[in-house]
Amino acid sequence: MMGKKKVLVVCGTGIATSTLVALAIKTEMAARGIEVETSQCKVSEVEAHCADADLIVSTTQVPAKLDKPVIVTLAFLTGIGKAGLLTKIEALLREV
Amino acid sequence: MMGQTMLPSAAGLLLATPLLLAPAVLVFALLLGTKPAAAVRACITIAVAMLGLNLIVWLMWSNLSEAAGAIAARTGFVRDVMDLGWPSAAAMAFGSTVGLFVIPAAIGINLVLLRLELTRTLNIDIWNFWHFAFVGALVAAATENLAMGLAAMVLAILFCLLMADWTARRMQSFYGVDGVSVPHLASVQIYPIAVGVNWLIDRIPGLRAVHLQPEDLSQRLGFLADPMVLGFGIGITLSTFAYLDLADPLASLHKIALCGVIFAAAMLILPKMAQLLMEGLSPISTAAQGFAEKWTGGREINVGLDSAILIGHPSIMITSALLVPISILLSLILPGNRVVLFADLTVIPFVIAMAAPVVQGNIFRLVVIGVAMMVPGFYIAGHLSSAFTTMALEAGFTKPAEATQITSIVDGFIWPSFAFTEIATSLGWVGIVMAFIVLGAGLFWSRHRHGFKA
Repeated sequence: MMGKKKVLVVCGTGIATSTLVALAIKTEMAARGIEVETSQCKVSEVEAHCADADLIVSTTQVPAKLDKPVIVTLAFLTGIGKAGLLTKIEALLREV
Repeated sequence: MMGQTMLPSAAGLLLATPLLLAPAVLVFALLLGTKPAAAVRACITIAVAMLGLNLIVWLMWSNLSEAAGAIAARTGFVRDVMDLGWPSAAAMAFGSTVGLFVIPAAIGINLVLLRLELTRTLNIDIWNFWHFAFVGALVAAATENLAMGLAAMVLAILFCLLMADWTARRMQSFYGVDGVSVPHLASVQIYPIAVGVNWLIDRIPGLRAVHLQPEDLSQRLGFLADPMVLGFGIGITLSTFAYLDLADPLASLHKIALCGVIFAAAMLILPKMAQLLMEGLSPISTAAQGFAEKWTGGREINVGLDSAILIGHPSIMITSALLVPISILLSLILPGNRVVLFADLTVIPFVIAMAAPVVQGNIFRLVVIGVAMMVPGFYIAGHLSSAFTTMALEAGFTKPAEATQITSIVDGFIWPSFAFTEIATSLGWVGIVMAFIVLGAGLFWSRHRHGFKA
């Protein structure tokens, strides 16, 4: 059993699209047996919030260079390519 | 229409909260195949979010009004329209009578236009359907005619699909987002302004050579984008002018500090409540994704998303940070301005994002375009404030005792809100029919231009 994984979800507002992404990650990872805790922030705040995150998932370009795995994707919003992305996130979370 | 049910609370605050959206979402979610337990939870979440938004709107509205009133009494500097922010506007729009129709209408119209190949955008950004409801509710409030409001809502839906198609190619190549378009009213509105201003600057010797790219400017402007700090700063500044009393320094300093905390809290809590509203709508958003996958099978379409996906571009982040102090300055010096900017100082990235592809991220031009949008925006906001306030009250929001009128940059400052309201109030049904003809022609032209492939 792994410990809780922390995923920071980033978008332009920290509210709009990131809420949908955070909900999707939580549900889908729980279904795969990974307990995930999500937090959300605006892209302008990502440097301040990323310290204890295991993975960063963003719906918009992340300008800062971060020493964490970052996935920039629209798949959670469009639904297109979502299955492949979930597999990738699962693998990343099992690694960290 | 929801009546003003009065619920006395412990604080003696009389609350009327718009709750009709909650059962409507329960029905939509069940129809779209959401599990009953999840649908019920979504319904309760929306009701709770609406209550939270009503509370926080009341907190902002009463405190801003009181401070602006005190400043006016002391200095004669009159500002009587308060910027309560887009989360408030969204809640008022979704909480209005027009708002009950917006989700089925926007999805239905979009699917029909896709079938007719008059658009190539499939808008699955359910959350931002509130903009269509906003235009409709505003027109309904201004004309006191629900049917006209619903017609304006349909016009806004058509307008955004047309603009999303028009802007898609340039937006995709600049931001690197293939297969996506942005049917977001507050964002697409800047595009024609950007095209015009850019054309003008290209013809002005000297100015046309000014080229600021993101890396030229420090990125350390970020603290202005922290809503809590910004709220505290504005609260302290406003209340110092309103309440500082050298005869009684301790009491007035206490009042000023309290105001700083209230305004910081408002800035922080307001979007959290919007997030809750958004969570409540998520079963419908998830179902809409299902449509997207089905409709993209072999067909060349763009998936319509929130402009939140564009905001991370450095040129947008820096321009927004510059436009915050510029906008505050404009609110102070523009003659005849009535607006106190507050909650929507944080959404400037959204109103300028679609200008960046036009100017290739040139920050100088983005700032000029932002100013070109904001200056008339103040007058539009003043002009629309009475309809905006009526809309809020009709949606069931609680009006504080010392109330002024209200607005928000998104969408109280933008020209489409003004245009649709003017068309409806000045020209009536004739204007509405003309607007349908113009937008319909635009959709046909756009189909011809883009050469749709089935």
